[in-house]
Formats: sequence, structure tokens, C-alpha cells
Amino acid sequence: MTLLSNALFSDIMFYLVAAVMIGTAIATIMAKNLLQSAVFLIFSFVGTAILYLMLHAEFMAMAQIMVYAGGVIIFVIFTILLTSHLGESALHIKLPRTFIALVISLAFLWVMVRFVVLTPDLNVATPTATSGYASLSSFALRLLSTGPEGFVIPFEIISLLLLVTLVCAITIARKSKGEE
Amino acid sequence: MTLQNCLILAFILFAIGTWGVLRRRHMVGMLISIEIMLNAANINFISFAYFKAADATAGALFSIFVIAVTACEMAIALAIVITMYRRHHSLDVNQLRDLHE
Repeated sequence: MTLLSNALFSDIMFYLVAAVMIGTAIATIMAKNLLQSAVFLIFSFVGTAILYLMLHAEFMAMAQIMVYAGGVIIFVIFTILLTSHLGESALHIKLPRTFIALVISLAFLWVMVRFVVLTPDLNVATPTATSGYASLSSFALRLLSTGPEGFVIPFEIISLLLLVTLVCAITIARKSKGEE
Repeated sequence: MTLQNCLILAFILFAIGTWGVLRRRHMVGMLISIEIMLNAANINFISFAYFKAADATAGALFSIFVIAVTACEMAIALAIVITMYRRHHSLDVNQLRDLHE
């Protein structure tokens, strides 16, 4: 980073992202398999989101990821998988599984630890929390207070979620009448 | 013990969880790895609340919500596991490929 000036770095990143977007868009059109083309479309959308981030439109980037990459594409993939038999061998990866998994997780670890180590703000040993910040009474007071500092609505939502989940779990796991 | 140490510990745990999720084929094994990852996220929440937050209780409360959502997720996932086992007599995730049949 110190070798490159900031403007040059963002230029290089822009060309890289643009190349990835164009490449994956062409791959989307050219892929023989419908499922592969949907997967390439995800990468194209993620590239668009990175571009939004570089233009400092953070909310647009988040919306792009959540709506397109998270919602629309998953919908498309599910539709493809449910209506055809393309999925059976379309996405077979031939690489050794354990090794690739290790490489991915180590790459993640390296990037995150590098950022943490390079941020001097995080090297603090003196806590700001007072003692008893996580005691049962302080939790209960905050969870159940209705004031602006309280968490009573999330508390209610989470209790509803627990109830719905338990009902769902029982519904999924119970034996239907015909089944042995 | 600094905030940096806690964060690095959490990231190491998260990476181990990622490794497990990606290399396991058994569904329960994947769930266990996901638990490790959520645990790492919780360590992050608590350590930031302890060292940095202006309102430490609010930060620590979020880990309670994470724990609750984790319990929900495990209930649903284990129900799916039971159904899958009943149907296929196997818990290999590759079997999920024929979920639509």
C-alpha cells in the first residue's frame, strides 16, 4: 500500500473490478449450463456492489448484495433446480475438498488479522465498561424497560421467533400419518 | 489481554469454523462448525462491549439475541436432519441434491 499512491490504487482496483464484471457478464451469456450462468451472474452483481462501494454509495452496495445477490439470484437458482435436472452434476468441483477449505479459511484469517493488527485503535488494554455491565440485573433492566434505552420490542420479537421456530421444528420432524 | 488479542482469537475460531463447514459432508458436522463460527461472532460482540462501547450493556445484550437465534436455527436444522435421516437413512449433504424429488 505504501508503494502505491491512493489514486493509482483506486485506478487499478477500478480496472480490476471492471474486468471481472465484464468477464463474468460475458460468461453469463456464453455458459452452456443455465445453472453456471446464474452463478456467474452472482459474481457480476457482486462486482457491481464493489463498484458502488468505491463510489461511496454504501447503502446502494448493501441493497445490491441483499436484493440481487441474496434474493433474486437465489430465487432463480431454486427455480432452475426445481424445474430441471441440470443441478445433478453441473457444479461438481474436482478440487480436493479439505485442502481448498483450509486455503479459503486461512486466507480469510490472514486478511482479518492483518486489518486488526494494522488498526492501532484496537490495541487497548483498558476497558471502558464498568463492572457489572453484563450482570443479570442490568440485562433484565435493559431488556424489559420500555424507555428509549430499552430492548423490549426485540425481546418480544425474539420470543415470538422462538415460538414459531419450535412449532416449525415440530411440524418438520413429526411423522406424517402414512409414514412408518 | 487487549481487544486485539480477543479479536484475533475470535477470527481464528471463525476460520476453524469455516474450514469445518467447507470440508465436512455430514450435516451434523456442518452444524457443529456453524456453532463454532457463531461462537466467534459472540466473542467479538462481548469483547467490543467490554473494551470500546459507550454503552456496554447494550453491546453485551446483542450476544443474548445471537444465542436465541442460534437456538432457533439449531431447532429447525435438527428437525430437518431428523426428517432427512428418516427419508434417506443418510446425512450426506450431497443427498440434498435430490430434495426436489
